[in-house]
Amino acid sequence: MAVPLTCPQTDPAPALFSVRGLRLSFPDSAHKPLFAPAPRIEVLKGLDLDLPKGQITGIVGESGSGKSTLGRVLVRLMRPDAGQVLLNGQDISTLNEAALRPLRRNLQMIFQDPMSSLNPRHKVWRIVAAPLARYECGSAPQIGLAERRDQALRALERVGLDPGFGERYPHELSGGQRQRVGIARAIALEPEFILADEIVSGLDVSSQAQVLSLLKSLAQEMNLTIAFISHDLSVIRHLCDNVIVLNRGEILENGSVEQVFSAPQSDITRLLLDAIPLPELDDKWFD
Amino acid sequence: MTMSSTLNIQNLTVSLRSGLPLLGQVNLTLEPGEVRALVGESGAGKSMIGKAVLGTLPPAARVSGGQIFLRGQALDRLNAAQRRHCVAQSAALIPQDPLTALNPVRRIAPQITDPLTRIHGWSTERAQARALDLLERVEIRDPARVMRSYPHELSGGMRQRILIAAAFAPSPPLIVADEPTTALDVTVQKQILKLIRELQKEVGTAVLFVTHDMGVVAKISQKVSVLFQGRVMEDATTEAIFTNPTHPYTRALIAATPSYADPSRSFSPVPAELIAQMKSEIAKEEVW
Ligand SMILES: Nc1ncnc2c1ncn2[C@@H]1O[C@H](COP(=O)(O)OP(=O)(O)OP(=O)(O)O)[C@@H](O)[C@H]1O
Ligand SMILES: Nc1ncnc2c1ncn2[C@@H]1O[C@H](COP(=O)(O)OP(=O)(O)OP(=O)(O)O)[C@@H](O)[C@H]1O
Ligand SMILES: [Mg+2]
Ligand SMILES: [Mg+2]
Repeated sequence: MAVPLTCPQTDPAPALFSVRGLRLSFPDSAHKPLFAPAPRIEVLKGLDLDLPKGQITGIVGESGSGKSTLGRVLVRLMRPDAGQVLLNGQDISTLNEAALRPLRRNLQMIFQDPMSSLNPRHKVWRIVAAPLARYECGSAPQIGLAERRDQALRALERVGLDPGFGERYPHELSGGQRQRVGIARAIALEPEFILADEIVSGLDVSSQAQVLSLLKSLAQEMNLTIAFISHDLSVIRHLCDNVIVLNRGEILENGSVEQVFSAPQSDITRLLLDAIPLPELDDKWFD
Repeated sequence: MTMSSTLNIQNLTVSLRSGLPLLGQVNLTLEPGEVRALVGESGAGKSMIGKAVLGTLPPAARVSGGQIFLRGQALDRLNAAQRRHCVAQSAALIPQDPLTALNPVRRIAPQITDPLTRIHGWSTERAQARALDLLERVEIRDPARVMRSYPHELSGGMRQRILIAAAFAPSPPLIVADEPTTALDVTVQKQILKLIRELQKEVGTAVLFVTHDMGVVAKISQKVSVLFQGRVMEDATTEAIFTNPTHPYTRALIAATPSYADPSRSFSPVPAELIAQMKSEIAKEEVW
């Protein structure tokens, strides 16, 4: 028997990204025969998903399940084998680099590995200011170096690094400080979409709390859409509106954080939830 | 100090060439089979302690005071070559930045087995077998494929597990694990923590475990050092840290931990007033 809906139906937020039938494979160099092309490993096996505008969608799943690969396809660092990636309705899955260029400033990313993405020879403020110079030369007015520097320092301040850090080089920073420089660089451009791949896992709890509330308020103020890849389900639960659980290149669950966490449908999600170490003593945890 | 301590750090001070101290008067000990967690906010000096022990401080920094004993040996009494030898024999590092730690143009297998054959004198067969065994124990699904892969063909969590396997392979007396599970999902993390406990029991490996995850601290460690601006604020058993933390900073760190179990509980950064107060206390000491 159908139960009448008691609450009024609200329109779901429109999707910034709509992904349909997404497939991607890699050549398997470890099993390459001597005189034949390498066999391919399927990493994304036909994914359908939406990322609603202005919302934060968590992507979780075990190591190697394809989270980073999915993220790289969204920002078109990789081109899928098949399927559509609709950004505001436009399929970007097959666009070439020239056609992608105007879209790129809108699609920012922050990665797991801060050190390799920061130019070691540039001072921190220059690293944060670099994308400002590169993108402001189109129709937007050129902004001078001094102003770019100010903008960079403001972005650094938003992630909790005082102006003194602007004068340092990446190797003079701790791991967590470097990660915040990466975040500052991505938000300096005020993009529409940010892909965040394991960005808070290297942060201490206090900077983590700062960065999470920062992302949350940015999402609200700037109507920013965020895909937040993380293995930390506590963080996902606090930060995200929706969550997608990936397993071996397929979607296991997809729904609001409340739905998925309070009534997980799959054993794998339950296993993930059970393995979270809570900050309390427990002799039996390993048993 | 007992002669049997795996690691004993006394009044260690590390400063930048400019004189700015990064670590001030750090004391800590690590007994065989013990896991000591190093916690504290970003920039507190956690990695710096590991680097001082392993002799990998950045060029801009140097040990300006205190002593480090590794299995009873005072490291400052050794010349550079002896010191490198001593450290290579007794200690292994799981680095904080797993994605840049592997050589991008070499396959995985030799990156694990080379130290075993070169430093520890194992045969190639023994090293290979050990590497495969450990890759399985860190839950790598297809160890034979992974051994023949290049780093860029592996996900972040797979690379981190390879570094964990490489560090554990020679069963060293000391492992410096610098945030070793940050790229791992919780099920694999739990498996890794289990493995650490097994090695603790089997071969008495002691672990200096750098982490910001108070949940991991509660499960894996027996002792905890809480660091702030290069100083040890509190040194206690893990039990005491969670049942009766004495320093307000320790309490603030626990309060800053997000809890999956209790999503309604807001978690907040360490209060700015507390930070300011601790900084001014440290500044007062430094006048001397
Ligand atoms: N090469 C360097 N030159 C100058 N200062 C440095 C250098 N490397 C690190 N520092 C500074 O030393 C302090 C301690 O750094 P360390 O890497 O030990 O921090 P950490 O506690 O490990 O932090 P995180 O959790 O972010 O990794 C930081 O304030 C950092 O900015
Ligand atoms: N360039 C590549 N060549 C071959 N295989 C690759 C390549 N990049 C990724 N893979 C494989 O694709 C799979 C998915 O990798 P991906 O990096 O997307 O995983 P992930 O879910 O992000 O994992 P983690 O949580 O460990 O970061 C892995 O099995 C990996 O070995
Ligand atoms: Mg990944
Ligand atoms: Mg560190």
